[in-house]
Amino acid sequence: MDLVLREKVYVVIPAYNEGTVIFRVVGDVKRAGYSVVVIDDGSSDATAEQARAAGATVIKHPFNLGQGAALQTGIDYALTQAADCIVTFDADGQHRVSDISHLTDALVRERVDFALGSRFLGQAPDMPALRRLVLHAATAFTRLTTGLQLTDTHNGLRAMTRRGAAAIKLRQNRMAHASECLAQIAASRLRYVEQPVTIEYSAYSLAKGQHVRDAVHILLDLFARKLHR
Amino acid sequence: MIAQLVLSTLLAAILLYAWTEYRRSPAVALLTVFVASAGIYFVWMPEHSTWLAELVGIGRGVDLILYIWVCISLIVLLNLHLKLRTQMELITTLARKIAIAEAQPPKT
Repeated sequence: MDLVLREKVYVVIPAYNEGTVIFRVVGDVKRAGYSVVVIDDGSSDATAEQARAAGATVIKHPFNLGQGAALQTGIDYALTQAADCIVTFDADGQHRVSDISHLTDALVRERVDFALGSRFLGQAPDMPALRRLVLHAATAFTRLTTGLQLTDTHNGLRAMTRRGAAAIKLRQNRMAHASECLAQIAASRLRYVEQPVTIEYSAYSLAKGQHVRDAVHILLDLFARKLHR
Repeated sequence: MIAQLVLSTLLAAILLYAWTEYRRSPAVALLTVFVASAGIYFVWMPEHSTWLAELVGIGRGVDLILYIWVCISLIVLLNLHLKLRTQMELITTLARKIAIAEAQPPKT
């Protein structure tokens, strides 16, 4: 028995040109009883139609703004609805639906405002060695800059309470949002916990996922953010 | 004397500009204040620029000024970049409001 009513859990899925997989991903989450919001980030394919057909509410950005912007749009929308919990979930099918209730239950059980998924506490079979290396470097960097004691700082699967979600105001539109999100969690002084989750890498998710050169972009974005208000 | 007055006026205008930019980007503003102040100083004390140029191993005061000018251009570029980012944030806010207002319910 879940500790949170599933229809009050809003699963936010940012999607950009995920037309081939979004129907299945949304369908899986929907069948588990959750409310699903897909943010179509200016896709040129049938992502929005597929997501709606699978049972998601769809919010369409008029043009591509980036994953960070899409997440914030989803969080803002969920807060206008009767959401008790908000979960962020990747569109490429690398997360497991069964992990969602582990995270939302942890919010209640541990009395925290954020439950963050960690593939290093859980499992990530078939993770390429280079990706493991970059993720460890990113984790070390984020631990240093935010002071949060985490094992996996770039995991797209997270759950938050309404209070937690209200403390998140992502201004990094592109990939630097993961670090920014953690910095805001640290600044909010709200409680958080890490939970083991499983990441299933596929050829599709690896091709869609981040490349090593994105790390350079992320560092530049984070630096630029420090220079202005 | 005429050149010195004209240059001083221009640099003073840059100082004023830096002051107005301070709230948005303190780092850029402080850098601009520093460079413009140095400029005013050297306009009135050209021999000091030669002295400083020799000290840092550039040779001529004019060359030093040229290099500083390159630095100013880079700061301006950086400031433009930051302004573009600010604009992007405004566009994002606007796009988000529109997108949420037009949320499409699931097809049942």
